[in-house]
Amino acid sequence: MSFPSLDARPRLAPGCRLSDSSSENQVFLLMPEGALRLNQTGLKIAQLCTGDHSLEEIIERLAVQFGSADRQQVERETVSFLTRLHEKRVVDF
Amino acid sequence: MNPAPLALIAELTHRCPLHCVYCSNPVELQARENELDTPTWLRVFREAAAMGVLQVDLSGGEPLARADLEQLVAGARIAKLYVNLITSGIGLNETRLDALVHAGLDHLQLSLQDVDETAADEIAGTRAHAHKLALARMVRSRNVALTLNIVVHRKNLGRLDEMIALAEELSVQRLEIANVQYYGWALANREALLPTRDQLQQSIKTVKAAQERLKGRMRINFVVPDYYATFPKACMGGWGRKMILLDPAGRALPCHSAGIIPGLQFDNVREHPLAWIWEHSAAFREFRGEEWMPEPCRSCDRRTQDFGGCRCQALLIAGDAKATDPVCSLAPTRPLIDAALQRINSNPESEPPATTREFLYRINPASSAATSKPKDSFQQVS
Repeated sequence: MSFPSLDARPRLAPGCRLSDSSSENQVFLLMPEGALRLNQTGLKIAQLCTGDHSLEEIIERLAVQFGSADRQQVERETVSFLTRLHEKRVVDF
Repeated sequence: MNPAPLALIAELTHRCPLHCVYCSNPVELQARENELDTPTWLRVFREAAAMGVLQVDLSGGEPLARADLEQLVAGARIAKLYVNLITSGIGLNETRLDALVHAGLDHLQLSLQDVDETAADEIAGTRAHAHKLALARMVRSRNVALTLNIVVHRKNLGRLDEMIALAEELSVQRLEIANVQYYGWALANREALLPTRDQLQQSIKTVKAAQERLKGRMRINFVVPDYYATFPKACMGGWGRKMILLDPAGRALPCHSAGIIPGLQFDNVREHPLAWIWEHSAAFREFRGEEWMPEPCRSCDRRTQDFGGCRCQALLIAGDAKATDPVCSLAPTRPLIDAALQRINSNPESEPPATTREFLYRINPASSAATSKPKDSFQQVS
């Protein structure tokens, strides 16, 4: 499976975690291959990848948090981001 | 100021229970009594994190040979580094694995020499294979990333399908299939290890199909031998750009084998802070940037992608560390690479039989301070 359903509950895979950082502008997603510097949206998504939230909930929260009127766009971007991380084996569903 | 390196490669020891014929350690190994002690490594990890290094690769030799490995993992993690352990798994039982995971290990890279036990043991010069399979299963049941590393060469590329099947059976998240790179021990054994062109093409097809089939389940990274490439690899992501390596004695090197380059002075973390070394050490400045580059690199559009390729390969093949990497199709010394490929491809059937007799085995470091020369320790296994 490479495309997540809205019911899926993404979580960071073993050995993948957010860096400890005092500044939100300098948070990395650490993984075996190296690190990914996260922007604010990426960080919010990664923080919600705990296995407790469905993809639908994550999209909902982001849309509210960023006050985005275009829920479709939030959904597209979130799904695309998580699909890429899933293919890198950084996020499990 | 140079941007900080992303990774620190910590060669904790050169001691190793294996004797792989393609070992990436230098041919002159550091003895146990020269190894850095625990507090020095812990200080170095803190300095690395403070510089902006994100990841430490605990490597060797066999890092498990260090009795203080758990402490080092914990110290690196407390310093806020991402902790990788690169191991053959020999000497790792369930109790020690749990201790390492508890200490904060993020990722374990387990090397496997072959899927065929007899062949694997021939390459590594010891019986190790069965234990590794059990270990891989053990790691998978813990909260730590697992990569299976398989080194490939002419003798085992024919078993690539079985290797991928094994990785699937073990349900590892990542599989790295890396062709041998020809330095040090591997260069000494090149004629027996370099794959043929047909083998290579077949293997690329096999890997591509597996990558497609296993997308989202297993990530497969495939490293081809650069002898068959048109352009050189960006060795270490460029000299003094992304990585800093410390050998067991604390010498800071830009890459695994930089010690072979004559005239380079390596500074030691016993005497200098890591950040000072990164910025000022002559060895790191020697090939950093573009000043040192000869033609055709100097005016080549690819110089910002491959940084002139590998300095050690230039020395080993072209006889000059400042030369363009000889694997580059634009290098004046490319015919030397082509000659090696020609020999191997024109008559692959004439290769010597697959006995251990043809290999130069990597040795264990001398226990005395005297360095043993490889010719003195050539092990013939009958």
